[in-house]
Amino acid sequence: MLSDIFINPFVDMVAAPDFLMQVLWEGLVSGILYALIALGFVLIFRSSRIFNFAQGIMVVFAALTLVGLHAYGVPAWISVALTLGVMFVLAVTIERVVLRPLVGQPDIILFMATIGITLFLIGFGETIFGGENKQMITAELGIPTGDTVLEPFGGLLILQHLDITVVIVATLLVGALLAFLNYTRMGRAIRALGDDHQAALSVGISLQTIWVLVWFIAGIIALVTGIAWGARAGVSFALEVIAYKALPVLMLGGLESITGAIVGGLMIGILEKLFEIYWGQPLLGGNTETWFAFVLALVVLLFRPQGLFGERIIERV
Amino acid sequence: MKHFTKMAAAALIAGVTAGAAMAQELYAPNLAYRTGPFAATGIPLMNGQADYLTMLNARDGGVGGIPVNAEECETGYSTEKGVECYEKTKGKAIVTQPWSTGITLQVLPKTNVDMIPILAPGYGFSPMADGKVFQWAFNTPSGYWDAADMIIQYLSGQGDLKGKKIAFLHLDHPYGKEPLPLLEAKSGAMGFELVPIPVGLKEMQNQSAQWLQIRRERPDYVVMWGWGAMNAGAITEAVKTKFPMENMIGVWWSGHDADLAIVGDAGKGYKSISWSFPNADAPVMADIKKHVVDAGLSKSNETEMQGVFYSRGIVISAILAEGIAAAQAEYDTAEISAEQLRWGLENINMTEERIKELGLEGMVPPFATSCSNHTGHSGGWMLEWDGAQFVKVSDHLKPDTSGYAELINTKAAEYAEANAPWPTNDACEG
Repeated sequence: MLSDIFINPFVDMVAAPDFLMQVLWEGLVSGILYALIALGFVLIFRSSRIFNFAQGIMVVFAALTLVGLHAYGVPAWISVALTLGVMFVLAVTIERVVLRPLVGQPDIILFMATIGITLFLIGFGETIFGGENKQMITAELGIPTGDTVLEPFGGLLILQHLDITVVIVATLLVGALLAFLNYTRMGRAIRALGDDHQAALSVGISLQTIWVLVWFIAGIIALVTGIAWGARAGVSFALEVIAYKALPVLMLGGLESITGAIVGGLMIGILEKLFEIYWGQPLLGGNTETWFAFVLALVVLLFRPQGLFGERIIERV
Repeated sequence: MKHFTKMAAAALIAGVTAGAAMAQELYAPNLAYRTGPFAATGIPLMNGQADYLTMLNARDGGVGGIPVNAEECETGYSTEKGVECYEKTKGKAIVTQPWSTGITLQVLPKTNVDMIPILAPGYGFSPMADGKVFQWAFNTPSGYWDAADMIIQYLSGQGDLKGKKIAFLHLDHPYGKEPLPLLEAKSGAMGFELVPIPVGLKEMQNQSAQWLQIRRERPDYVVMWGWGAMNAGAITEAVKTKFPMENMIGVWWSGHDADLAIVGDAGKGYKSISWSFPNADAPVMADIKKHVVDAGLSKSNETEMQGVFYSRGIVISAILAEGIAAAQAEYDTAEISAEQLRWGLENINMTEERIKELGLEGMVPPFATSCSNHTGHSGGWMLEWDGAQFVKVSDHLKPDTSGYAELINTKAAEYAEANAPWPTNDACEG
């Protein structure tokens, strides 16, 4: 038994390095997508202290809008632009109708409001687009769908062009977000709100504008995530559950940390895949991905309650 | 006061009229799921079911001259919501259609008390076939163990399974685990290695870990018990990992046209066992078009109506209607009770002639139920995806129930003992 835990997995890794590389690649692809979803949560939480329960349904809504517009004959890239427009209108509407009247209310009220947004978007989306599984317009968007087969160490490594594209686009998007947050006036305003709400408001930063902006950015992230996951198995309301994979990422990385979201996403993506393949499947019958990330996050929280990169809150009384 | 009196009189008349109207229908609620992660597979089935009954109501005034009200209660495939729907609808229902193995298992003991038959066509707990123990439950026309048996029969027809490896990719849910006892028994008896590979609800669309395991295990065949987004997720991963499609077979819930359309030609060769098949030329389709589609009463569309799942919805409602008709004939009344419907469902005799009379040629194999046989064990056909649609690639396959009749009885008895006191129908002859 001990050898199954401490020796055999590593022997397997060494014996089939090409397979290990495939596991790491699949983990990286999943991880970068988890990181992307987690970023959507973090941005909104930093600027408004709202845990956005609606992030998952925003992924579905964005992907359905894109596919739905194209089904009506709108060219693919114009559909992307129009979908971004819809996500902007959604951000403005959420700020005006839901969040603005709740300014100053306890955090739990705002959290409940995002559950309301989720339920509304589910019903609205199903009314407009129906619940059927729809095909993502992968080819129409010019996303490559073939694969490259490599033979490292005389073995086999299959790299899907779709996955390569996802990794590149997600990396660029994360980079662009970091640049936006660090080097632009609006980005610094978002960070200022995250650091100190009262101080940021006192120097004239507009809460309304920032809220619209972060919800719109969350909408952009939702669209990219929706395209990436939708290209794998179609666009349906099942995509919503993907967002819940970001919860342990947030626990691990810290709800307020952009770095935490990225590192946490990658860590969980890769570690859960390694654990599932080399320990979960041989010893526990598999399907450990459903709980491994949460256990990992809980272990981290035992030692760092604020997460790996979260801010330690010290209240003096 | 005069105004109030008029209002009260109107309310009384409305109440009496509504009561009369309610009595003039057979209430057969459907615990449907048109929302949630499994909606994509639920919608065509629900549409097929609804359209068939709408057609009967429009064409014949229902069954035996009484309209059937198959009101839907939305569960989102959630077991908790399903139980709520059951409780909400059981008052005047003559049948309950739980539409999930999880919900079926939850309401199974309740129906003994409420005396409402469960109609779970092609799903639910496989030992429900034992009508003596499960007197209120029907998984007509074929159960999951029938499916597993037929798949193993089909695979053994390709060559001796001794020493072969079969990966069993399944949803980590009561539904997905249901055929495991039979597959394990077959594995021991036939000498093949069974590798169960569960897929969690959150992993349905990202099955890379499961398919990495398949790549490592190098199975000869993959048998799939998938549902909802899991089907499309598995098929895209199979294409991605270059697993030979002709060696992959799914149960009837894993043979949905829309799931295969996502991969198109790359899915050629994928197979699914099925007890239903679409036949656009069947008279029932013309009647549905005339009475439902042209009247603007259908929620379906042309593409969906050509698919396997829509036609399965039609067959499911036809089975219910046959049960109702049998009960009406036996008890000489159109307004049957739930208990009378139970007798009707136990006495369905879908012969080739009857299937033709109903306009369902080629859409369902013949089968018959009885007091002790609540499944019917109709068998089915092996369907294959040709890149654009499913086609039949086998003759009528029949499960060899003699191989697992004892397992059915044993598991049914175990269930009854574990849930004692469990009423059985001792009037049933074996």
